[in-house]
Amino acid sequence: MFTEEEIAVFLEELEEKLQVINDNVLLLEREGGSPEVIQEIFRAAHTIKGSSAVMGYEKMSTLTHEIENLFDRLRQREMEVSETLVDVLFEALDTLKLLKDEITGSAGDVDVSAVIEKLRACQPACGAGGSGGAPAGGGTVPAPAGMSDSREPVDLPTQARDTGSGRLLPAGQTAGLSTTGTSNGYQTYRLTMELEDAVEEVVREAEVRGFQAYQVDIGTDQGCQMKGVRAFLIFETLQQIGEIIKSVPPAEDLQEGKYEQGFTVVLLTKEDAGQVHDLVFSIAEVSSVEVRPIKLRVWEQTPAPDAAARQQVKKEAAPPGKDNIKTVRVDVQKLDTLMNLVGELVIDRTRLDRFVEVFESRYGSDDLVENIVEISNHLGQVTNDLQEEIMKARMLPVAHVFNRLPRMVRDLAHKMGKEIDFIIEGRETELDRNVIEVIGDPLIHLLRNAVDHGIEPPEERVRLGKPRTGRLLLKAAYVESHIVITLSDDGRGMDPDKMRQKAIEKGLMTPEQAARASDREILDLIFTPGFSTAGTVSDVSGRGVGMDIVRNQIEQINGSVEFTTAPGRGTTFTIKLPLTLAIIRALMVTLGDHVYAFPLTNVLETLTLKPGEIRRVRHAEVIVVRGHVLPLVRLAHLFQEESKEEGKLSVVILGSGDKKVGVVVDRLIGEQEIVIKSLGGYLGQVPGLSGATILGDGKVALIVDARGIVKDAGVEEIIYEVNRAG
Amino acid sequence: MNENRQDELQLVVFRLKEQTYGIDIGHVLEIIRATDITAIPGAPAFVEGVINLRGRVIPVIDLAHRLGLAPINISENTRIIIVEVGGATAGMMVDGVSEVLRLSRESIQPPPPMVAGVSAAYLQGIALVDERLIILMDATRVFRREEKEVLQELSRQVEERSAS
Repeated sequence: MFTEEEIAVFLEELEEKLQVINDNVLLLEREGGSPEVIQEIFRAAHTIKGSSAVMGYEKMSTLTHEIENLFDRLRQREMEVSETLVDVLFEALDTLKLLKDEITGSAGDVDVSAVIEKLRACQPACGAGGSGGAPAGGGTVPAPAGMSDSREPVDLPTQARDTGSGRLLPAGQTAGLSTTGTSNGYQTYRLTMELEDAVEEVVREAEVRGFQAYQVDIGTDQGCQMKGVRAFLIFETLQQIGEIIKSVPPAEDLQEGKYEQGFTVVLLTKEDAGQVHDLVFSIAEVSSVEVRPIKLRVWEQTPAPDAAARQQVKKEAAPPGKDNIKTVRVDVQKLDTLMNLVGELVIDRTRLDRFVEVFESRYGSDDLVENIVEISNHLGQVTNDLQEEIMKARMLPVAHVFNRLPRMVRDLAHKMGKEIDFIIEGRETELDRNVIEVIGDPLIHLLRNAVDHGIEPPEERVRLGKPRTGRLLLKAAYVESHIVITLSDDGRGMDPDKMRQKAIEKGLMTPEQAARASDREILDLIFTPGFSTAGTVSDVSGRGVGMDIVRNQIEQINGSVEFTTAPGRGTTFTIKLPLTLAIIRALMVTLGDHVYAFPLTNVLETLTLKPGEIRRVRHAEVIVVRGHVLPLVRLAHLFQEESKEEGKLSVVILGSGDKKVGVVVDRLIGEQEIVIKSLGGYLGQVPGLSGATILGDGKVALIVDARGIVKDAGVEEIIYEVNRAG
Repeated sequence: MNENRQDELQLVVFRLKEQTYGIDIGHVLEIIRATDITAIPGAPAFVEGVINLRGRVIPVIDLAHRLGLAPINISENTRIIIVEVGGATAGMMVDGVSEVLRLSRESIQPPPPMVAGVSAAYLQGIALVDERLIILMDATRVFRREEKEVLQELSRQVEERSAS
């Protein structure tokens, strides 16, 4: 089901999270269970649980679920950290690593039951968890049943057609991939097939008769027994809905079982790709199915007169085929290098511009000067275009992430007993590779939430007078220089009044505070760690983990997440992402002799203050902006630079999450697009900085880690109190 | 580089605090003037800053400071030797670069524990060429950040934070 690339992404993330758990369990052992450490492990386990479930690694998902449970209880102070516990945790961690090796094939079958038993034994006997007393948490582990059944016949073929579940399956997915031409070689099993003229002719004719030709790539299980029978079954099934006109290897060989991990057929049918996929996938021991419409090549020859009519019919068929041939895979590093070279060009052009200005003022409207001006302008144009094209080359369609979601939603819906129509729009929207890699996780969190406690069970929906089937719409689109991804459901929505109650119960607010807080403030509590509106604990969601992580992850790539909700009518999340991570808009400031850049996504506003307007709260400097107290950070102090500004203060208000901080700088220069460069591995993470950029004059300016500064401004509790009280 | 025989070593020879040092030319990418270095607040003291090397941001260290000597006073002669060590590119600032020298490996002797105030830990050896003492730097060691140093740096940062 999953491409090598997706598995590689998963493994990478897994490695990272395992490291987080490892580091934090070490801390746990050394320093006992601080809430931060427990939260870190909890989150990492939660993420692994989620992604491994999606990928169908059931044992890993079950084991991490158990770890998560345990840490939830630690978090709720229902149990204490002990030596035995740490030992068992390390054992669990080792088992997770073994499971990872199992996935990569460097380890054999791993047994997780023993360590799960130990993890359970560590917990006090009482079953009920604090966050809603769910027996599911401590007792039986809800194995992600829906996740692992890819080999079992889920639906009868006829049902698959009738229920319209084809919409959940990759009808659009395959189209999306084949039109972009980036899919070559990514699939677990895929064959490039050349159609002979004879076959091509058959396909053409069939198309005219209203049949669509599909290339169906079928992968079978590694340990597939009786391969010949399997192939025969697949042939039989496909022939119920159409005609197989070609197969690789040939049909005779297939039925004798002479094939490796799978085979490819060309099918003519009137069914759509999703249904073909469903049908084949319902056959036992089929591990992957990919259905791609075959588009005939028409660009090769100049149309002969008699072929003109035929050309007309398949006009739109040409581009995909074209892409297939004209696409090459390029190492991202090469693109980065190209990007750097363009960066140099930009810098040189800026310098050239400066000379041109000098020439102009010195020699006036000389012919030669005009020539130089013209060359310089043209060079500028070409450089800009070049930069843009390379940026585009780094982009991938968001389908790379979206395509793995329908299956997950379907499985979740099955498990939760929900009926959901999951619609995806804008798969072709392109995003920078790096952004693509990061948004998968937050999207999965949001989808889980929507399925789990957004959309109501069918009976409840009927009772409420809603359509029985819930609707979940995931949409990507360009809005100005951003990508906006929206996820809307027509489910329960969130009720601010219920959440008020919850906030008080959870001790997050006093009744007075809750009464005074606006609905928006209350709703935004979902981004607070530990807040959950779900009554029960499931292995899907509902423990208050997730939303804070979602926001964190999205902000890390300079994005933002917002939502609107109406009780009884549903919730819409809006994620705004930059098109690329390589270039951002930044506010440039000076401090001493240096120029610093603040990413504009974190800059809320700028102000000028008189020194007298600074107040003090318990040794910390604060300012009051429209009635709100904000901590004040002096950049000069943070970076140990000599401030050159006396008198009035230039303040940049930074925001990240709920928190805002005022940062004092020397002078504001203005906004500018900057190309982000890393400080390099040798320096590693430098506190307060997130990277560097090269200015027009060739100098290096440092990019301020705005999120870090906001996070580290340590007086927020006081300020919170002050704001609440006043 | 074909004529570079096994028993021979090519060195880039540079000056640091009135001493002559050499570094294996295999590590050296290029030598540039020391201009437009952007200081990095919060980085270790021996890190002079970062420079723009044709669109790449490269860290530069003050080699004298790194070796425990007094920091370099930047002058006309100051140079940055851009080296590649362990897959990373970095610059080391020196007081001046004089020549490229061939040296037979046999003439290299192991370093004494301290040479001109520099610990042997950073050195490959010493050699006498035309009655000049050349100290051979071990670029890999200079750019390796020992665990101890990282820890010291961390504790310094923590102190600064709690002090502020």
